[in-house]
Amino acid sequence: MNHKVIAKDGIREFIDGLIEEYRVFAPVEGKKILRLREISSGEEACLDFYNTKMSSKEALFPQNEVLFTYKKDREAIEKEATSPMKREQVLFGVRPCDAKGVTLTDVFFSSGEHRDQPYLEKRDRTAIVGLACNRPLNTCFCTSTGGSPFGKEGMDLLLVDLGERYLVEILTERGERLLGAAHGLRDATEEDMKLAQRLSNEADNAFSKELPTEGLSERLDGMFEDPIWDTIHQKCVGCGICTFVCPTCWCFDVVDEEKANGAIRIRLWDTCQLPLFTLQGSGFNPRPSGKERLRQRVMHKLNYFPKEFGSLACVGCGRCVRECPVNLDIREIIETIMSM
Amino acid sequence: MVGGEDKIREIAGRLLREGEVDLIIGYEKGTLPLRSTPSFIRDQNDLYKLIWDPTCDINLSKYLHGRDEKIGILAKGCDARSIVVCGSEGQIDMGKVVIIGLPCSGVIDRKKIEAEMEGREVLEATFADQSLVIRGEGFEEVLPIKGFMDDSCLSCRHRNPPVYDVLVGEPLPEITGANEYAEVDELESKSAEERWGYFVEEMGSCIRCYSCRNVCPMCYCKECFVDETMPAWFGKTNELTDTIIYHLVRAIHLTGRCVDCGACSRACPMDINLKALTKKAEKIARERFNFEVGLTTEEAPVLGVFKEDDSEEFII
Amino acid sequence: MTNPYVPHIAVLRRIITENAMNDIKTFEVEFEDAEAARNFNYKPGQFGMVSYFGAGECPIGIASSPTDERSIEFTIKKVGVVTTALHNSMVGDKIGVRGPYGNGWPIEAMEGHNVLIVGAGFAFTTLRSLAKYILNEDNRGRFGDLTVLYGARNPGELIYKYDLNSWEKRDDIDLILTVDRGDESWTKRVGYVPTILEETSASSENAVAVICGPPIVIRLSMPILTKLGFTPEKTYLSLEMRMKCGIGKCGRCNVGDKFVCQDGPVFSQKELQEMPKEY
Repeated sequence: MNHKVIAKDGIREFIDGLIEEYRVFAPVEGKKILRLREISSGEEACLDFYNTKMSSKEALFPQNEVLFTYKKDREAIEKEATSPMKREQVLFGVRPCDAKGVTLTDVFFSSGEHRDQPYLEKRDRTAIVGLACNRPLNTCFCTSTGGSPFGKEGMDLLLVDLGERYLVEILTERGERLLGAAHGLRDATEEDMKLAQRLSNEADNAFSKELPTEGLSERLDGMFEDPIWDTIHQKCVGCGICTFVCPTCWCFDVVDEEKANGAIRIRLWDTCQLPLFTLQGSGFNPRPSGKERLRQRVMHKLNYFPKEFGSLACVGCGRCVRECPVNLDIREIIETIMSM
Repeated sequence: MVGGEDKIREIAGRLLREGEVDLIIGYEKGTLPLRSTPSFIRDQNDLYKLIWDPTCDINLSKYLHGRDEKIGILAKGCDARSIVVCGSEGQIDMGKVVIIGLPCSGVIDRKKIEAEMEGREVLEATFADQSLVIRGEGFEEVLPIKGFMDDSCLSCRHRNPPVYDVLVGEPLPEITGANEYAEVDELESKSAEERWGYFVEEMGSCIRCYSCRNVCPMCYCKECFVDETMPAWFGKTNELTDTIIYHLVRAIHLTGRCVDCGACSRACPMDINLKALTKKAEKIARERFNFEVGLTTEEAPVLGVFKEDDSEEFII
Repeated sequence: MTNPYVPHIAVLRRIITENAMNDIKTFEVEFEDAEAARNFNYKPGQFGMVSYFGAGECPIGIASSPTDERSIEFTIKKVGVVTTALHNSMVGDKIGVRGPYGNGWPIEAMEGHNVLIVGAGFAFTTLRSLAKYILNEDNRGRFGDLTVLYGARNPGELIYKYDLNSWEKRDDIDLILTVDRGDESWTKRVGYVPTILEETSASSENAVAVICGPPIVIRLSMPILTKLGFTPEKTYLSLEMRMKCGIGKCGRCNVGDKFVCQDGPVFSQKELQEMPKEY
């Protein structure tokens, strides 16, 4: 039977049990912002929320990640690759959009001749406990990008809030192992399942609008030179918030930093929205203005990535819509493109 | 402050019709409640989009940089002062700008409203006189606009643009008696240790997204000090030292130039209290150099010009 | 799975200053680890990610040919932090190298054809690798006529002068050199590369064209190649893009659905026409 039920009272204990064996990340209410953070007790986890400010990519693809360290002297250079994670980790309370974002990131970092070992090694040792969205936000549009508020992609367990209890759907072997730390589980009854289904239907119907994304990627073919980009980009100030909060933006920079007793090579989040991103040593920049850079973001997410990997590189989480300081709305961009 | 939209559309329409400007930059309704978004209008038929209400918080002067055309721009007091600063620094050709001045009684602070909502989502928001009516799923609340205005607006010195080509409506009475440096004073009264602790906590959540820099009309350098590599002034990771240096240096670069429009604080996704630094920088310019920025294009940047009677207490 | 971002250590064996302005040097490197050396099998046109530990890493085209008995060569122009650090190094210093990356020049497509190589300025590095590969006695027979047109701003800026001198003496390569501006001792052609390309009217019959240079040279030369009859399928370029990882992960060199570091840097003109015009 792969559906269990756990009382809401039992969740904190479950998380405490997980903490004994794994590193656990859960949404934590900071002074002002809700973010995924490592916790040391189940009490710190906040499970009554819409979504975290930053996506769960923070835990798998940290903003700053040491690739390797080295020491240098006249005679030799000693390198040391960073050691793998000692303990496995659990991301608890991840929304379906973010979990889908993780699967897209997995696809990308394992593609090509050279796989991204630092990310994939962490990913292999990470379990995801998802939390279905009973009530999507007005800015959410996961159903328009091939996702769903009760989606299960990327997860090992899916929790559904049924009121004073959670339905727990076991999706993988790893998920089953995680449940070893939970007490007071019972099998789900037909009543539980019916309620979950009703909530799922309600969530699906709660979206204020469906975006016309059918054929979006194909529509963008051949639109590279279209004058529409001249108007779309006008209000963008090129800050890059959209890329930082996005679950499927993974571009990075690599820098060396010297420390007191050696040096490190780090990779850090970067954004295609800044001019430095493509500035060449000669001084030439193929994307000299905001227009080219905004076009790159939209085309990459909605045309280039789908052409190569078969899925839009957008999970409809709505963070970019909420955080953009000038209210540049990708939903509007999609509607404009599809109405042309 | 609510209303006046007809007048704005009339003025903008006339400027376009008579060829005085090729482009109008103003505000239109955003795609989310409590948001406005910049509007770029060249066609009379689009003028209906222009709005004016307390959600019009963006400093539109940012969009004047790098444009060669004649532009009519809607500007609140703080925005107009930004235009003046950029004009006096040679970044904007004032001859090509028509400032449509907006007497402003303040913009709302969305973060204050979000905090009041305690996690409930705002689905609709409308203004009615001095109130803001918020509707969500299963609730409706009426909030006093004044209680949810941006802090800068509560002690604003220039509700009326000090420089403009045409004013929309009648000037508003200026605020008197408000201590605009209340927060700065409070921080200054703390011990150095307490202040350091405060800023370490604030800056700790910075994700180095540079939105603060990018929404600021005064941050227009083609190569920002952040990107310089030879030499590199500080690291690009969000190690605390590097992050604090970034914010401190930006505040220093803004001393005598910042008009306290609040765009940086409003843009910050991490809710960092950036105004504490920029307001302090503004206070320094006013008190040490007896200089209020953004009132006339005849001014020279206070940190760019040496006068013999400049205060030197920080050197000696 | 190994961490693809960790470079191998290499020792600088020789440093040659290539130009009068003293900002282009060729570095001959040798891997410290014998296995790394054995595994570094490259083709002309590929590049390596070269590290100066402490300064950073950057993509550099491999200038030597796999047929050279000598170790691997990188020709580097001093433009920023990493390249300046490399320029300030001495023989015996250690750097990092990883690779080879990229697709390289399409050797198979060129076999059985005449080859026209057009290069300008510093971009000549991987073209030199290609020319040396073709000229090698084990390979020469598989290719037809070889024409190399190479230009620089002035005679002092021509690189690989030692190779150019020996090529001029050979009869299995037609070497055409030009400079934008000559000097008192320059007796050869004077003119921009696109102009000279048009003047020489290289034949496109059964020929493949390979071109590498600054964007302006490429933009002006492509129409001339078309006029001379080179088809888009038979014209190849090497694109330059800012790169940080070299393995198609950091996103920087993304053009359309391709990554210049993986699907390129060599593209045929036909492939380029199907990609978004980012240049």
